[in-house]
Amino acid sequence: MKTFFYAFFAVLAAFTTFSAGETAGQIINKANLASYYQGNDGRASVSMVITDSQGRERTREFIILRMDVEDGKDQKFYVYFHEPADVRKMVYMVWKHVGKDDDRWLYLPAMDLVNRIAAGDKRSSFAGSNFVYEDVSGRGVEEDIHELTDTTDKHYKIRNTPKDKQTVEFSYYDVWIDRSNFLPVKAEYYDKQGDKYRTVEALEIETIQGHPTVIKSKVTDLNTGGNTVSNFSDIKYEVGLKDDIFTERYLKRAPRQYLK
Amino acid sequence: MKEAITGFAIKYYKAIIIITFLLTLILGLQIPKIKIDTDPENMLSEREFVRVFHNETKKNFTLYDFIILGIVNEENPNGVFNKETLSKIYNITEDIKQIELKSGGQETTRPVIIRDIISPSNVDNIKEGSSAGEIRFEWLMSKPPMSEEESLAIRDEAIDNPMLYGTMISEDKKALCLYIPIKNKNLSHATSLQIFEIVRKYPGAEKYHITGLPVAEDTFGFEMFRQMAISAPLAGLIIFLLMWSFFRKVKLVIAPMLVAIITVISTMGLLIGSGFTVHIMSSMIPIFLMPIAVVDSVHILSEFFDRYNIYKDKKKTITHVMNHLFMPMLYTSLTTTAGFASLALTPIPPVQIFGLFVAAGVMLAWALTVLFIPAYTMLIKDKSLENFGLHHGEEGKTVLTGILRNTGDFTWKRSKSIIAASIILTGLSIYGLSLIKINDNPVKWFTKGHRIRIADEVLNSHFGGTYTAYLILDKEDTGESFTTNIRRLKEKIEAEKTDASPQNIDTLLSYIDKEKDAFIKEKNYDYTEFTENIIGKSEELSSDDEYPDNVTETIEDENIDSRIFKNPAMLKYMEKLQNYMAGSKTVGKSTSAADLVKKVYMELMGGNREYYVIPPTTKAVAQSLFQFQNGHKPDDLWHLLIPDYKTANIWVQMKSGDNKDMEKVLKQVDSFIESNPPPFPLNHQWAGLTYLNVEWQNKMVRGMITSLLGSFIIVLIMMIFLFRSPLWGVLSMIPLSITILLIYGLIGLTGKDYDMPVAVLSSLTLGLSVDFAIHFLERARTFYAENQSVEKTLKAMFGEPARAISRNAIVIAIGFLPLLAAPLIPYKTVGFFLASIMAVSSLATIVLLPALIKTFAKYLFKPAGIRRYECNCVKCIISVSAGILIITCFALDNPVLKWKLLTLISAGVILTAGVICNMLSKREAGKPETEKE
Repeated sequence: MKTFFYAFFAVLAAFTTFSAGETAGQIINKANLASYYQGNDGRASVSMVITDSQGRERTREFIILRMDVEDGKDQKFYVYFHEPADVRKMVYMVWKHVGKDDDRWLYLPAMDLVNRIAAGDKRSSFAGSNFVYEDVSGRGVEEDIHELTDTTDKHYKIRNTPKDKQTVEFSYYDVWIDRSNFLPVKAEYYDKQGDKYRTVEALEIETIQGHPTVIKSKVTDLNTGGNTVSNFSDIKYEVGLKDDIFTERYLKRAPRQYLK
Repeated sequence: MKEAITGFAIKYYKAIIIITFLLTLILGLQIPKIKIDTDPENMLSEREFVRVFHNETKKNFTLYDFIILGIVNEENPNGVFNKETLSKIYNITEDIKQIELKSGGQETTRPVIIRDIISPSNVDNIKEGSSAGEIRFEWLMSKPPMSEEESLAIRDEAIDNPMLYGTMISEDKKALCLYIPIKNKNLSHATSLQIFEIVRKYPGAEKYHITGLPVAEDTFGFEMFRQMAISAPLAGLIIFLLMWSFFRKVKLVIAPMLVAIITVISTMGLLIGSGFTVHIMSSMIPIFLMPIAVVDSVHILSEFFDRYNIYKDKKKTITHVMNHLFMPMLYTSLTTTAGFASLALTPIPPVQIFGLFVAAGVMLAWALTVLFIPAYTMLIKDKSLENFGLHHGEEGKTVLTGILRNTGDFTWKRSKSIIAASIILTGLSIYGLSLIKINDNPVKWFTKGHRIRIADEVLNSHFGGTYTAYLILDKEDTGESFTTNIRRLKEKIEAEKTDASPQNIDTLLSYIDKEKDAFIKEKNYDYTEFTENIIGKSEELSSDDEYPDNVTETIEDENIDSRIFKNPAMLKYMEKLQNYMAGSKTVGKSTSAADLVKKVYMELMGGNREYYVIPPTTKAVAQSLFQFQNGHKPDDLWHLLIPDYKTANIWVQMKSGDNKDMEKVLKQVDSFIESNPPPFPLNHQWAGLTYLNVEWQNKMVRGMITSLLGSFIIVLIMMIFLFRSPLWGVLSMIPLSITILLIYGLIGLTGKDYDMPVAVLSSLTLGLSVDFAIHFLERARTFYAENQSVEKTLKAMFGEPARAISRNAIVIAIGFLPLLAAPLIPYKTVGFFLASIMAVSSLATIVLLPALIKTFAKYLFKPAGIRRYECNCVKCIISVSAGILIITCFALDNPVLKWKLLTLISAGVILTAGVICNMLSKREAGKPETEKE
């Protein structure tokens, strides 16, 4: 069981596609399994520091709960905000589906309002940070063509090119996957002008309950000079989350025992 | 001394010529190092508060200067909202993202800030989804539309978005504007040319317009330099041809041309070699120096031409001519220098540099005139001067001579009418002056048909406005509000006190008191920071299980409320202010966080129009703004707010960039805020290019008036010295005064704006229009000394001296007429001014001065022979008033010399001295010898 935190690296994990040759496909598959589909559930406290080009910082603190519906397929996420204080108790809920659009919900405590978020593209910002929604819930593997472009002592380098260029802002991205544990440790995104504009890095890795886990990661926007650093703490696997937590009913009534 | 200089020039003529050319070569070689600066922002010093604030605002809100590309389709009933046009716009946007500029050598830069482009395919849209309770974040036009329905859907979405309506989509719902932010506004001309290239690839029913202040200003700078390369040589050629027709000898006519060229090259070389950038102002130096440099030489040539056949010897002729003209030339150069050097007192760096270097150029031209011209004449063989000059008895035959003789007769017979007419004209001019409208707009520096002017008109008729200003509202943390807030905080905490553990609360309250004192001691009234501090303490205390649950939350609520731009009352105030601004004719649209919050809130509440309001609570505002940040461009929020939510930006779009219109908006906003106190103490301050223009214009206008008055008095004092007579000094100022009054009066009467070029030209007017009077009066006194008859003197004046003046006036006025055809208004203005200065000052000199001399002859001319020992009261009075005036005008509103106690004292001292002098002179002992007897 690996962590859903790799959800942040789902893009890098670059799941299954075998169309780009066996070797790339095998690596992607292993990285995918190593980072995404082991175990049944998990929880973590996430602290995000968003730093803009002028060094101004904003913070986000939230608890993230994850449960797999079926290994290698659907997953459910529950994101509960603690900070900033004025959005406390706000909840995002995602039912991630492989092969079709995700279901997403949003609960706004100030208006006591539950909204469904329509399936749009997934390249929009996650909570104003430099992470995009797709970094959280995972980029559909079938959306890219994968090629193994380099193999070093430590890493595999995979180039991922989107099949539908109009729905994304990048033209391709490179991912470095650690050969020892198949964790993606770095990704670099290139824009349509061919310039590198975004990097995602795993800064610290720790083994928790036997699983190598990214506990600190960073996204840098090379255009704006801004970045977001995420720190994960209180990580637990096999929490025994119940399916009914991930329902509309629990948006307004947060499952306190998992969120403290 | 004058003989010595001319003698020196004649003796060492070869050395002088060689040294002159060498110096010119050395200075000329500096010119390729030229660094051009076309940024009008540099009209303000880098340390100027408004400029510093403007740049801080741009940084704090990550704002960029932008190019505006407007697309209009008049043929389609739906305007640009059809499949074809929108597809073109999609592709144009993609092409614009690719723009690269070569910057020196092989390096390329991307001038466009891609993520901030406002274009249908690059803006986010938040809206309600297809089913109830659903919201949607998506690009407005993620790909080119496939059908007309899709095109119209894009239109309707854009209209529904207050961030886009009036900004990106026109108010008539038919046109689109793309806002293309650029890294540096100095790249805007080059970038706009690339955009023109791009849109050329997509022809059809669409019309493309490019405008915006950065493009206008940068393009203007570019064209200004190009125009200089056309205008200066063209004017030179025409001056050359005119002189040739007057003096008929190419070899001689070349001399003044050389003086002009050498002056221009050396001055520009000196400017560039000294490391100064060549600003738009300085680019006008050649066009200012040319007429000034030529004027003196024309006087010399004119007299040389008229006298040559008397001496039939170039050496004797030139010695005689130089002897005659030396003093007037020195003084005309000194006065012109004073006029320009006084620009150094304006608070505008490029104007200072311009003034000082023109002044240096004028003195260089003078040096060349007294040294180089005599030296040059030595090169000409006497033989080649056969047939040259005015032959005896030929004087009456030329048209000019005839006209001048008649003018002379006329001034003698009608002196009273001339004076009366001049007084009426002066009165009319003063009335005109009172009508002067101070206004400027860089876009209007282009002529009417220029594509930037057309774009400006078309786009401002369709959209909220292409002129940008930013109104920055900033929370003011006062000691008073700080203590009030803390009192309220303590009351709220007190209310949470439970019986279980009162000591925890007491600990917190005493901590609050301690911190409050510490904050006040440091004059830090930041309540946000204060509450953050208290939250920390409260969290620390909450480890005790007995600690009441709600205390931390209560303090947090206070912290949230201190971020006033999340507060509904504050946002409603902004909304009200914006509605008020929208009532003015100038402001077409304004955008703030209030608009954004309303839009998001409405969509969250199911897209119902009745929810297009500010949400009821601070948290509802905060959560709406948080939702906005889930879009593709969360950072767009930080164009309108600082992340601490204590400073907000209202983006104001205006239909006019005229400074007078911007000033009206400034006044309206001030009075609104004064009569509608905001719910929290606020500071407000403007930024943006349109606002900066107002600031430097005001400085310029005020600075110009000060420097004009100052140099007027300096010139008057110089004249008193030159003629050693206050009366003659005043007389010599009359043509100059009339010229200035008449030209500026005319500007007032015709309703032309008093703008930057007009302001700068006042120094040229002052410097040039005194010249003829100096020549005229100096010669008149010489003649009078010879013949002791007013009538004979004036008759003689209409011979050679009047001819020199007329020739000069004609050469300069006609030489610069082609400027009127230039596509840039400042050039037209220079052309108009030079022609007017020459026409008015020469007429005032030739017509009015003789009339005045005749009328006031008995005061002006004293019988020769009687040396009178006297106390001259007139001299006293004029000197005293001049002294006081000069102190007043330099002290008034001058950044260098501010009103100080000492200024007042010195003015008082001068006045007292004048009075004492007057009293002393009334004593019997002070009376002139003649009266005593």
